[in-house]
Amino acid sequence: MGGKKHPSGSPSCCCCPEPSVIYQQHSHRHLCSTHFIHDVEERVVQGIENNAMIRPKDRIAVALSGGKDSTALLLLLARHLQRWQDVSLFAVTIDEGISGYRDKTIKAAGQVAEKVGVEHYIISFQDLFGDSLDTFLKGREEQACTVCGILRKKALSEAAKENGATRIATGHNLDDEAQSVLMNVLRGDLMRLVRDSAADTSDCFLPRIKPLAEIPEKEIASYLFIKGMFLLLPECPYTRFALRGDVRSMLSGLEHRNPGTMLRLMESKKTIGKYLAGSSGSDPLHRCRQCGDPCSGDTCQVCRLHQSLGR
Amino acid sequence: MKIILPDQGIVVIDQSPASVEQILSDLGINPLEVIISRNGTLVPEDTIVEADDEIRIIRISHGG
Repeated sequence: MGGKKHPSGSPSCCCCPEPSVIYQQHSHRHLCSTHFIHDVEERVVQGIENNAMIRPKDRIAVALSGGKDSTALLLLLARHLQRWQDVSLFAVTIDEGISGYRDKTIKAAGQVAEKVGVEHYIISFQDLFGDSLDTFLKGREEQACTVCGILRKKALSEAAKENGATRIATGHNLDDEAQSVLMNVLRGDLMRLVRDSAADTSDCFLPRIKPLAEIPEKEIASYLFIKGMFLLLPECPYTRFALRGDVRSMLSGLEHRNPGTMLRLMESKKTIGKYLAGSSGSDPLHRCRQCGDPCSGDTCQVCRLHQSLGR
Repeated sequence: MKIILPDQGIVVIDQSPASVEQILSDLGINPLEVIISRNGTLVPEDTIVEADDEIRIIRISHGG
């Protein structure tokens, strides 16, 4: 850190005389609010363009939980797509049915969608699967994130297809992505580690894009705070059962003591992916023998879950 | 100096001036898991804060 101090007590911005609002460890720069906002917006645009995430005539379903990452994603995509006349956006919110939690985030999601001026669809587990997540999880709370993840992915995919999406955008940030790499290593799930959800398999899955995947979580929160859109929302009551919570704490501790840890994890994933490209290690896609959805085995995760839930 | 904690609890510390970094370290908080505002404005951790400042520590990680 360091840097020349502004009279306010904060180091000055590296680009102008204004006081900084953030120190970026990865660039070793202090930035004021104006230059920081510009920096985040430009890095997101570069990420989208370098990875060809958006194509002409795309209709993008934005997964909008109402939390900070999806809120930032919608704001940034809407801003970027002002340049694309033939690309449209809409927002999808999944109501899992989590008492005392989801109502507040759904309200926040509705307000963001209205502010940005996009269509907003809400799809519930109750409507799609016949019950709320709370009901599905009675007596099996420790499986919450696995059950929710499988059903939420299916619900998002259904809502996206139903409304004509060609792509699904999610708000995963750098921290989320690095956590996923480490979680897949800890589970010994090499296939999931290297799977590319952005691969164009439009006859099976809708391609997924993650425009915030190179932006650290702290920068996303800072971006929203400066924009006056950072909300204090309740935490999911099932978070305490998640492996991700432990991995998140461990990884942020490592990143703090050894800056660059998360970026190096992402580099490792890319390297492993290159070694495995075209090898027999990658699973071919099949069709689920029960519902016909694409899957890697005989039966898809949703149908397997329905069976295990006794439905 | 008044410090508003992530759980909305309030602590008052006598030490001033002090760096935000030192305050977080004393509280056992990882700077990567929070953002800090001083009198409503976002500040980096190497900011020096004074006795009459109000510091808010906002936790950024939420599941879901």
